[in-house]
Amino acid sequence: MRGALLIVKKEFMELSKDRKTMFFTFVMPLVLFPLLFGMIGKLGKNDKAERTGRPSRVCVVDDSGALAGVLTGNPKEFQVVERPSGDLKQAIRDQKLEMSLEIEPQAADKQRRQETWSVKAVYDRSDESSALALDRLRKAVASRDKVVVQERLKAMGASTQLAVPTRIEPDDAGGTSRALGKALGSFLPYMVMMMMFAGAMQHGIYATAGEKERGTLLSLLSTSIPRSQIIIGKLLYVFSIGIIVAMINLLSMAFAVTRLVGSEAAAAGQGAQAMPGLGALASPGTLGLTFILMIPLGLFFANFIILAGIQAKNTVEAGTAIMPGMVVVIFLGVFSMAPGIEKMAFLPYVPVVNVSLAIRKLFSQQANYWEYTVALLMTIGLACLMTWLSTRMLRRESAIFKV
Amino acid sequence: MIQISDIYKSFNVKDKKSRSRMRIEAVRGISLTVKPGEIYGLLGPNGAGKSTTLRMIAGLMLPDAGTIQVCGIDSAKEPERARSTIGYLSTDLSVYNRFTPRELLKLFGEFQGVDAAVAERRGLHLLDRLHMAEFADVKMEGFSGGQKQKVSIARALLHDPKVVIFDEPTTGLDVLTAKTVLDLLGIMKAEGRSVIVSTHVMPMVEAICDRVGIIFEGTLHGDASPREILDRWKVRTLDEVFFQLVADKERGVA
Repeated sequence: MRGALLIVKKEFMELSKDRKTMFFTFVMPLVLFPLLFGMIGKLGKNDKAERTGRPSRVCVVDDSGALAGVLTGNPKEFQVVERPSGDLKQAIRDQKLEMSLEIEPQAADKQRRQETWSVKAVYDRSDESSALALDRLRKAVASRDKVVVQERLKAMGASTQLAVPTRIEPDDAGGTSRALGKALGSFLPYMVMMMMFAGAMQHGIYATAGEKERGTLLSLLSTSIPRSQIIIGKLLYVFSIGIIVAMINLLSMAFAVTRLVGSEAAAAGQGAQAMPGLGALASPGTLGLTFILMIPLGLFFANFIILAGIQAKNTVEAGTAIMPGMVVVIFLGVFSMAPGIEKMAFLPYVPVVNVSLAIRKLFSQQANYWEYTVALLMTIGLACLMTWLSTRMLRRESAIFKV
Repeated sequence: MIQISDIYKSFNVKDKKSRSRMRIEAVRGISLTVKPGEIYGLLGPNGAGKSTTLRMIAGLMLPDAGTIQVCGIDSAKEPERARSTIGYLSTDLSVYNRFTPRELLKLFGEFQGVDAAVAERRGLHLLDRLHMAEFADVKMEGFSGGQKQKVSIARALLHDPKVVIFDEPTTGLDVLTAKTVLDLLGIMKAEGRSVIVSTHVMPMVEAICDRVGIIFEGTLHGDASPREILDRWKVRTLDEVFFQLVADKERGVA
C-alpha cells in the first residue's frame, strides 16, 4: 500500500503546484454559492418589496357602486385608475395596470336582496404583481363578506358562529425540519452525485490520459511500484478529490441556503425558528450514514473515470468517453428527485439509484435500514468490481502504449 | 547483467485502408547478453523493434516467448524486483513540468524505495554531474528539451541501478548536451554497470559501445564489437551496414 500512498502524494503535490486549479476546485465553491444565493435572495427581496410596497393599479366598471368602499377604503393596496384605451387584456399584459374589475350592474340590488353577486376580475397569472392584485382583492372581499354575513346574522338574531359550523386547527406533527428535510432529501442525492462526479472528472482525466498525453506515464511505470498500486493510488486521489469537492460544495450551499431562507423567514416575521440550521434538519447520525454511503459511491465514480481515462489515448478521448457517464449520473440524479419514487418496490435493488433513495429516506426521517444496507453493500461490490477491472486494464500493454 | 534468450513480440494493429486487424511481429527471436561494465549499442532504423526490445527488458512489456533475466531476476515473473535494478530512460523528453528537479528526484527516489533525504542528496549529485545543479529549484515547465532529458537521466539513475537502459538518449539534444550524456554513459561503464543504449547515431556507437547489435525488421543482425561488425560486412561505417541490409531485403536475401 506504500506505493499507492506515494502516488496519492505525488498527485496532490502536482495539484498543489497549480494555483489556478486549486482556486477553482477548492476556493471558488466556497465563494460562489454564498455569492450566488445572496444575489438571488437580494434580487427576490427587492422585487417583493417593490411589489408589495405599492398599491395595485385597478380599473373598475362598477355602475352599482357595490365594491367602491372596498377599493377606495384601502389606498395602500388599491389604486383605482382610468380604463386604458384599446384592448384591456393587452394593457394588463403590458403592465399598464394589474387588474380590471367588472361588477355586474344589479350588484347593489342583489346585495340588498341578500343574493350572491359577482365580480369579473381580469388579471395576468404569469405576472406576480397582477397575481398579487387578485390575492389582495380576494382578501379584501373576504374580509368585507365576513362583516356583511355577521351583520345579516345579527339582524336575524342568530349566532355569528352560524356561518362557521366547523373550524379546522392544523397541528404539524412533522414540523418544519421534517418538511425541509424531505425537500432537502429529494435534491441532495442529485447534488451529491453531480458534485462528486463532476469534481473528480477533470482530475481523473489529468492523472490518467493526461499522463499518457504528456509522456510521463512510462517514467512512473518504470519504477518498482507495482501497477496495481499505481492505479489504486490514482483511484484514491480521484476519489478524495470527488469527496472533498462534494463536501465543500454542499457545506457552502447549505450555509448559503440556510442564510437565504433564514433571512426570508425573518422578513416574513416567522423568526429564527422558521428555518432551523443544517444540524436540526439532519441528525449527526443521518449525516454520518449519508457520508458512509458517499464513500463507495465516490469510489465507484472514481473507478469509472480512471477506467475510461486509462483506455483513452489522450485527454479529449477520455473526456468524450466519460461524458456519457456524466449524462447517466445527471439522469439518475433527476430521476431520484421525482416525487413518489420511494414507493417503487424494485428501486432499492437498482445500483446508484438505491443510494439516492437511501439518502432521501434518511433525510425525510423514514430510514429503512434493510434498504440502506442493500444500497451500501451493492455499491461497495460495484466499487470493488470496478477497481479490479481498472487494475487489470493497466496491466494490458494495449492500454499503456495506446498513444 | 542482462541475458535475453530468444524473445518474440507481436502486436495487433488496425490497417486503416482495409479496416482489418493484422498482426505485426516487432521482435523475432532476439538473444543477447550485456555484461557488467559493458555498453551495448542497439542499432536500427525506426520501427525496427529497438524500443520494444528495451521495454521488454525494462519489464514494461512482456515477451510473447523467450526469457529475459536482469541481474538474475526474470523480468516477466518478478517485474517490480527486476525494475528496482534498472534505470530506464524512454524516448520521450517529458517530465512532470509542475515540479522542480529537486522535488521530482526526491519523489522518484521514494518510488524506488530510496530514503527521501538520500534521494535528494543523490539527485543533487547527479544534477551536478549533468551541469544542472543551478536549476535544481526551478520549475521544469520552462526547461528546454536538453534540460528535461538531463533531469530524466538523473531520475533514471537515482536508485543506483545495476542495469541502465537508455532509449535514444541523445535524440533532439545539441552537441554539448549529447556529449554530457555520452560522458555519463562512460562513467556508468566504469562503475561496472550493464548499459544498453538504442540509437540512430552511428558515430556515438563507434565511440562508446563495446558491442553492437543491429536490429532490422525485428531480427538481430550481428552481435559483436563495432570493429568486428565492420570487418564482417566489409564496410567502413556502420551506416553502410544498414544500406546493405536494405539492399539485401530488396533483393530478397535478408
